[in-house]
Amino acid sequence: MNIEICEALRIDEHGELSFAQLIEYSGLPEGELRELVAYGALVPRDPGAAAWSFEASALSVARTAQRLRHDFELDANAISLLLSYVERIRDLEEQLRALRAGVAVGR
Amino acid sequence: MKYKDYYATLGVDRAASAEEIKKSYRKLARKYHPDVSKEPDAEERFKEVAEAYETLKDPEKRAAYDQLGRHATGQEFQPPPDWEQRFGGGQTVFEDLDLADLFASLAGHRRGGPRGERAARSGPDYEAAVRLTFEQAFHGAEIELDLSGVEYDDQGVPHRVPRRVKVRIPKGVSDGQQLRVPGKGGKGMNGARDGDLFLDIRVETHPLYRVSEQNLYLDLPLAPWEAALGTSVHLPTPAGTVALKVPAGTRAGQQLRLAGRGLARAGGAPGDLYAIAQIVVPSVLDERQRDLFKELAQASSNFNPRTHFETETSREH
Repeated sequence: MNIEICEALRIDEHGELSFAQLIEYSGLPEGELRELVAYGALVPRDPGAAAWSFEASALSVARTAQRLRHDFELDANAISLLLSYVERIRDLEEQLRALRAGVAVGR
Repeated sequence: MKYKDYYATLGVDRAASAEEIKKSYRKLARKYHPDVSKEPDAEERFKEVAEAYETLKDPEKRAAYDQLGRHATGQEFQPPPDWEQRFGGGQTVFEDLDLADLFASLAGHRRGGPRGERAARSGPDYEAAVRLTFEQAFHGAEIELDLSGVEYDDQGVPHRVPRRVKVRIPKGVSDGQQLRVPGKGGKGMNGARDGDLFLDIRVETHPLYRVSEQNLYLDLPLAPWEAALGTSVHLPTPAGTVALKVPAGTRAGQQLRLAGRGLARAGGAPGDLYAIAQIVVPSVLDERQRDLFKELAQASSNFNPRTHFETETSREH
């Protein structure tokens, strides 16, 4: 059987997402995405612009938000708070990984 | 079709109230949700818990589920005959579906169908975990994935359709990263876009290389005389062995950088590889080695590796 090969893209590979793309790819309704922006969980490149655009990494944040909203039945305020903790944990895990990587393990 | 005991999955009685079901789900979600849990089988357990809750939280779905009667988990059973009419099909409707598909499609019918529905609806996104070796992550890889999802035929009857997808993973991906394969999720309906396939990447650890962002680290054991005098070593890197010049006077813990020998980076220069010097002494010395070390110690009496201790110790006296 001949199977077509598809390219897997890094989520942050293509620099920018429009607001419409973020709605389409994240599965979150527009109103909730706007609330996440209002609570600071998602930051548009230029918040004052007529048409918002986002760093491509915003998709990862929005998808996490979508999961948390659905799975824990949370509102946008609670999601924003939780996202800030999830983000902090990820940063700390990365720092821990960097520290562990840079220290000789010994034999 | 195989029966699943959703009440047992949530750890509640069949007569439990909606509030008790919600409370139990939340407790289990807190324990097993992949974003917050470190339990080894968290993802699998959470899927089971979420599937059970999806049905039991909804009074109509719960009533339909209760109609199935009581069976042991895993036991084959036949849905009531009127269900086939409910889902708009003939005898074969339920053959390729599992219980979760059935209740998900019940929700679809209640919203106006997919049966006979003409409104456009985007296909659902799929998510799959992909485990890569370190080498696959470094060099990139082509992998095959067996996926399956519910699709609706022209009559609006749901079927679970297996699909095999071949995906090219770009080089330089790292553990925990997520990739998107556009258009390889579920089929969109009535002209709407197909969903995307999201891949959660897991990379196996390597016995030599440790990864931090795009940089790689490996230990470089050196004999004391190699560190003191300098040397040249054959250093393994994921892209092949290179000759590394170790400068005289290399200290333990010192990082020797090989630019561009780390993981590839999208739209930028690759990361670096760092060899971390370790000074290793022979665990057993023969007589001649012992004599030579003693001689070295005498010849090095003006070398004090602990000068920074002196301020502290002099303060104590």
